[in-house]
Amino acid sequence: MNLLDSEAGKRRLLAVEIPILERYNKDRADEFKIKVAREGMDFVLRYRLKPMHNVYELKTILPPGYPTLPPETHVVTPLVQCPHLLDEQLLCMWRQGSTRETSRWDPAKFTCVFAVQAAWRWLACYEIWHATGEWPLPEAT
Amino acid sequence: MAHLFQVGAGSGGMTVLDIVCRDPRITQVTLIEPDIYKPHNVERHLFPPSGIGASKADLAAVWLKERRPDLRVELFPCDLLDERETAPIEAAAHVCDIGVCAADNEPAKFHFDALMRRNRKPWTLGEVLSGGIGGFVHWFVPGGPCYGCVASFLRRSVKVDMGKPPDYSAPGGPAPETTIPASRASIEIIASLHAQITLQLLTLGADYAPGFTSLLLTLEKVPGIFDEAFRAHRFRIPRAPECLICCDAAAPADLDRALDDALTRLNQS
Repeated sequence: MNLLDSEAGKRRLLAVEIPILERYNKDRADEFKIKVAREGMDFVLRYRLKPMHNVYELKTILPPGYPTLPPETHVVTPLVQCPHLLDEQLLCMWRQGSTRETSRWDPAKFTCVFAVQAAWRWLACYEIWHATGEWPLPEAT
Repeated sequence: MAHLFQVGAGSGGMTVLDIVCRDPRITQVTLIEPDIYKPHNVERHLFPPSGIGASKADLAAVWLKERRPDLRVELFPCDLLDERETAPIEAAAHVCDIGVCAADNEPAKFHFDALMRRNRKPWTLGEVLSGGIGGFVHWFVPGGPCYGCVASFLRRSVKVDMGKPPDYSAPGGPAPETTIPASRASIEIIASLHAQITLQLLTLGADYAPGFTSLLLTLEKVPGIFDEAFRAHRFRIPRAPECLICCDAAAPADLDRALDDALTRLNQS
């Protein structure tokens, strides 16, 4: 399913993703609201998060295969190289293999806002790691 | 007279296709299979070594015609998700009587599920687990649970993988996933179950009620995963009301305009 080009993709956006983004933004300070844009074949969320002491800028990309394929979240604000941080500051947030058994992203339950919440948790872990040298959550299995 | 619509003619898919098409009720087959038959396939496949280098779709058509000269076979030697073939694949799905999914990747399974639900067709799915330690067969009917409902349930409820997690502490990317090929014997067992359930579903249609929606058959005892070999686990997985894949949501007549309006509203909020 191509999110922006197919009828099914547009239905998913209108019925699932956009309503939950509106709920996320409701009553939230303007600087922390999620903005969305079409960038090529991707649907991109841009937003700021403040898990503890610092504010981070992020972008979450919903690729053409979304929601079967998980979103990709990059931190735009420069970070210190750390565990669970991949190339281009891509956050490693869930194990994603080629089969149902080896993938933690659940297309039937998760939305793009789940990815935003997961990024918030990742950044909280990052701040703890930065202060203590220990990543506070166990590895994904 | 029945029209079978199948994706996948790999080692498992070809066995399902062979068994199902020996049933005289099957008079027409649409097969989607993009791959070329390669030397490493020979050990597990029905096709002979002389077929190496040919497309699996063509080899499957020859195999079927040798056994059922009367069978009408339509081939799509492309990926199920190939956007250039969307319309003819949709048309073939629309006129089929039953679907068989023998794809080995999640995007294809979800895509097949959506195709079958749109066209309100019953279908089945077979999955051999890594290492051939067992396998699943699932069946689906219009109005029942979708693949999203089933995958979500099984992901939370059943452990069938003991793969080592990637090394997340190494920046630069997770370690490559390791999968262990299944034996021809385990592929044949699960594919035969898949074919049997497909033929029963074709016979009984809406009255099909085997007491499960997903069947897991263990083939090996694996500590931490399966307590014993040759045990059948029957799952009755209901349609999940909160499933984001098959939830029914009213859609506006002009989707593009509604989407533009919604995005503008979101960015102005």
